[in-house]
Amino acid sequence: MISKEDLEHLAQISRINLTEYELEKFPKQLDKTIEYIDILGELASDDSVNLDLQELRFEELRTDEIRMSNNKQLNKNITEDGFLRGPKMK
Amino acid sequence: MTKLDDLLAYEVVEGLTEGQFTAEEYVISILKRIEEVEPKIHSFITLDTEGALSSAKLIDKKIREKEDIGQLAGVTVGIKDNISTKGIKTTCASKILENYVPTYDATVIRNLKENGAILLGKLNLDEFGMGSTTEYSRYHPTHNPWNLDYVPGGSSGGSGAAVAAGECTVALGSDTGGSIRCPSSFCSVVGLKPTYGRVSRSGLISYANSLEQIGPICRSVKDLVMMLNIISGKDAMDNTSMPSSPITVPNKSNKLNVAVIKELITDSDQEVAKSVYSTSEKFQEIGCSCEEVSIKNLHYALPSYYTLASAEASSNLARYDNIRYGFDYPIGEYKWDTYFSNVRENFGEEVKRRILIGSYVLSSGYYGKYYLKARRLRSLLRLELLTLFKKYDVLIGPTMPILPFKFGEKIDDPIKMYLVDVNTVIANLAGIPAISLPIGFSNGLPIGLQIMAAPFEEQKLIDASYELERVIDIQRRPNLI
Amino acid sequence: MSMVMIGLEIHAQITALNSKLFCSCRGNYRDLRPNRNICEICCGLPGSLPNINQKAIEYSTMTSIALGCKVPDKIMFYRKNYFYPDLPKNFQITQYNVDGISSIGIDGKYELDDSKQIRISRIQLEEDPGRIVYSEGGMNVRNTALIDYNRAGVALIEIVTEPDFTGPREVRQFLNKLSLTLEHLGVCDTLLEGSVRCDVNVSMNGGNKVEIKNINSFKEVEKAINYEITRQSSVYNRNLSIEHETRHWDDKKKITFKARSKEEEHDYRYFPEPDIPVIVLGSDFVANLKERMPELPNQRFERFKLKYKLSEHTSNILINDKKLADFFESTLKLHFSPTEIANILVTDFKSLIENDNESTDYLKNLKVKPEHIAELAKLIEGNKISRITAKDILVKIFESGKLPSEVVNSSNSYKIADEKTIMDAVQSVFDTEKSAVEDAKKNTEAINFLLGKVMKFTNGRADPKIARRLINSKLSDPEKQ
Repeated sequence: MISKEDLEHLAQISRINLTEYELEKFPKQLDKTIEYIDILGELASDDSVNLDLQELRFEELRTDEIRMSNNKQLNKNITEDGFLRGPKMK
Repeated sequence: MTKLDDLLAYEVVEGLTEGQFTAEEYVISILKRIEEVEPKIHSFITLDTEGALSSAKLIDKKIREKEDIGQLAGVTVGIKDNISTKGIKTTCASKILENYVPTYDATVIRNLKENGAILLGKLNLDEFGMGSTTEYSRYHPTHNPWNLDYVPGGSSGGSGAAVAAGECTVALGSDTGGSIRCPSSFCSVVGLKPTYGRVSRSGLISYANSLEQIGPICRSVKDLVMMLNIISGKDAMDNTSMPSSPITVPNKSNKLNVAVIKELITDSDQEVAKSVYSTSEKFQEIGCSCEEVSIKNLHYALPSYYTLASAEASSNLARYDNIRYGFDYPIGEYKWDTYFSNVRENFGEEVKRRILIGSYVLSSGYYGKYYLKARRLRSLLRLELLTLFKKYDVLIGPTMPILPFKFGEKIDDPIKMYLVDVNTVIANLAGIPAISLPIGFSNGLPIGLQIMAAPFEEQKLIDASYELERVIDIQRRPNLI
Repeated sequence: MSMVMIGLEIHAQITALNSKLFCSCRGNYRDLRPNRNICEICCGLPGSLPNINQKAIEYSTMTSIALGCKVPDKIMFYRKNYFYPDLPKNFQITQYNVDGISSIGIDGKYELDDSKQIRISRIQLEEDPGRIVYSEGGMNVRNTALIDYNRAGVALIEIVTEPDFTGPREVRQFLNKLSLTLEHLGVCDTLLEGSVRCDVNVSMNGGNKVEIKNINSFKEVEKAINYEITRQSSVYNRNLSIEHETRHWDDKKKITFKARSKEEEHDYRYFPEPDIPVIVLGSDFVANLKERMPELPNQRFERFKLKYKLSEHTSNILINDKKLADFFESTLKLHFSPTEIANILVTDFKSLIENDNESTDYLKNLKVKPEHIAELAKLIEGNKISRITAKDILVKIFESGKLPSEVVNSSNSYKIADEKTIMDAVQSVFDTEKSAVEDAKKNTEAINFLLGKVMKFTNGRADPKIARRLINSKLSDPEKQ
C-alpha cells in the first residue's frame, strides 16, 4: 500500500508538487497500478537472460572533432553577462 | 477527377511532376480543407500556414526552373507535436513547454525537408505521448473523424485524425506502446511503428527511449512506403539507430506464412474478433497459409511495459525544470527547496502519475522487484517472438482489443486506460516492426489489423498489407461536411 | 597515535579531448563567455541524444591500464538521477558496476614509492556538470544562482580508491604519481584550473566515515585531510563520537564544514542509459591500445637508467618533470651524451627555470632549445669551456637565445688550457693573497680558496685541473716558474 507519506516522498524525489485533489486521488490509483505490475514478481530471477537488446561497436562511435553549433540554444532568462538564472541554495 | 485535397501522396508527386497543378494550388486546397473540418476535429496545436505556402512557392519555382524537387515534393505533412521543428513551437501538448521553440530540426524533419515535403504544422497528442485518447492533451482533445463523439485514439491522435480527415496528405507520429497504431486503428488509416533503430530518434522528445520510434501515418500502403524510406537510416546523432535497406511496393503477390495470435483475439470485443477472423480468411484467399499460435509471456507484457516506460519517463522528464526553456518565473522565487517542485507542478495528472510510478520502480529496494524483472520479461518475450518468426513471416491480431470509445469513458480509471494498449506494447518491448491496417467498421467505428514481423522485416509487413489493402473494399473517407 | 583510513574519489577532466563526451562542442571551455560553448545535447534540450566520443573511451582505458585495472570487453552507461541546477538533464550519464557489466576499469592496484599498494575500486567515464556562480550583488540577480553550461558534458574520469591510505603523506605521494601518469598519458593537464577535483573520505579508529567534498586542486587535499584529522581527534578527545556525514572544504578559510543534511539524502535511481547501447570494445582492444599507448613514468624511469646509464637520482628528477624529460630526450637526438646533458638539465638549467614552472607550457616559451643544450654539452666535452663558464653561458643563452658558440666567441669565454697563461694568474694570486698562501702550506683545505681566486682571476675560464696542479707545485716549490 502506498501511504500518504510514501506518496510525499515519491513526489519529493521526483520534485513534483501535488494538488490537494491529486493527494487525495493518487494513493488509490497508484496502488492499483502497483498491484497490477506486482505480477512481475511471478517471473523467475534468471541471470542467464541477456537483458541488452542492442550493441554498438567501438569503431562506430563518433570521432573526436569539434563542430560548434551555430544555433542560439538558450533564449530564456539570460542575464547581461550571458548566464542563466536558477534556484539558489539556502 | 478526384478533388485535390483527396489525393494520396504519390498522386500529389505525380500530379506536380506532370504539371496537372501547382504545389501552391495543392497546399491551398489542403488549407481550405483544414478550415472546413478543423473546428470539428481539433487535430492541430500549431498550424504554419505561411511556412507551408512559402515552401509550396519554392517548389513551384524549382519546377519552373527544372530543378530537382525531391521524392516528396508538394506532399503536406503534419507532425506530431513531440518531434522537434526548428523555429516552430514544439509543446508535447504540455503546459510546461507551451512556449518552447526548438533550435534544431529532428533528423526526420531534415529528411522530409530535403525531399521537398511541406510541413503544415504540429499535431495534437496526449501530454508527452502518455495516453491513448488525446484526452490528456493540455490544450484540447482531438475528435474522431468517423464519429465526433468518439476518441481518435492516442497518443498520436492528432496525426491519425488529421490524415483520416484529409487535413494533411500524410503525418508523422511516434509510438512508445502503440501510439501510432492505436489512432491508426481508431481513425481507419495505415500506421507503422518501425523496428527499433530503423528511424532516428534525434529530435523526438523522449517519453521512453528504449521503446519508441517515429513512424508514418498515411491513407495508403504505397504512401507509407515512400515515407518510411525517407525517414529511415543510420543517423550519427542517434547511437541507437541502425542501417536498413529500402522497402519496395510489391509488384507481385507473395505467399506468406501467417499466424494469428490466439490470445489477442479471444481477449477482444466480439465485433473486433469477427472482423479479424474474416481478414485471416482473406489471407488464405490470396494464397497465404494461416495458422493459430500462442504467446506464453503475453500475460506479463503490459505490466512490463508500464514499469519500463514509467521508469524511463521519470528520468527523461526530469529536465523540465524551467531553467533553459519554459515560462518566465517571477524572480525572487528561485528558492532551492521549492523551485523545482513548483515549476513541475505544471505537469498534467497522467504525466505526474507515470513519473511517480517511475520513481517508485527505480527506487532502491524496488529496482530488482520491478525494473529488472520487467527487463527480463522483455528479453524473454523477444526471444519467444524471434522463435515464432523462424516459422512464420508475420503474426497478426487486432490492433486494438476494443472499438473506439466515447470521451470520458476511461479517463477516471488509469488501469482501464492502460489495458487498451495490451496488443500494441508487444512490438515495442520486442523492438519489432508492426503495422495497423484498416480492415472494416462496426457501427461506423473503424477496426484495424495489426501485423508484426521480425526486426527489420518491414518488407514483409508491406507485402502483407499491400495485398490486403487491394482486396478489402471499405469506405476511405469519413463524411465530415 | 590513532589509526587513520583515507579513501579518495578523484575526478580528472580529459583535457586532451577536442570535443565533449557526448557532443561536438569544445572540450576546452575555459576563457569563453558564459553559455557560448553549448548545443542542444550538452544543454539537454528536449529530444537531443548523447553521441559518445570514441577518443574518450580510449583515454579512460589507457588510464585504467596505467592504474592496473581490468578493462571489460563491454561497457555500459547509466543514469544517475538527481536534481541540481548545474545538471542540464537533471541526471548525469555515468557508469555503474552492477549486473556483470562494469565500468571502464575495475579492481586496480597502484604502487606508491615505498612499494605500498593502493587498491583502485573502479574507474568510470562520465560527464561534467555545468558551473554555478553566485553573484555578489545586483538587485535582479540577488536571489538566483547564475548558471553557465560551457563546461557541461566535458569528459571526466572518476577514479575511486579503497580506503588504503593511512595518512596525508601517502595521499600526496599517490596524487603526485597520478598527476605524472595522467600527464604522461596525455590524458589530463592537472595544472589547468578546475581540471582535477577530489573527494576524500576519512575515518579514524574504525569510526564513522566522513566525506569531504569540493576539494578543487590536489594541493588542497593534504590540507583538508590534516584539518579533518585534527578535527576528528579533538572530537574523540572530548569523548564524542564522529558522525557519518558529508562536509565541504572551504579553500579560503582552509576548514571543512558540515553540509546541509538534505544533500546527503540521495536515492540516485540508477538505471542503464537507454540512449547508448552496450559498447563492445572487443577482446583485442586493450592489447592494441597497450601497444599504441604512451610510455608510463615507471617504464620511462627504467629506460633512462638502462639505456642512458643515468643514476636513480637523476632519472627521478627528469621523470618527475615530464616536460624536462621530453626536453632531455630531444637534446639527445641532436647530440647523444646522456650524462653530460642530464647533468646540465637537472642542475643549472633546472635552477634557472625553477621559479617559473607553474605555467603549463613553460618550456615552449623558453629561448633555450635543445639545440643550445646540445651545443653546450659539446663545448664542455671538447674541453672548450669549463663547467663554471658553462653556467654563465647558460644564463646568457636564457636571456638572449643566442647559440652557446656565439656567446663564447663574443664574450671570449673559451677555456684556458695554456699553462703559461694560467701560471701568470697563479702568480698574481700568490702576490696578492700572501696570508692565504701561508695557510695553504699548512692546511690543504685552503688550496680551494686559492683555486677559487685563480678561477675568478680568469673569469672562470682556467682549466681547473691545470690550475690546481700549478698551485700545488708552486706551494711546494715557491721559486718554480
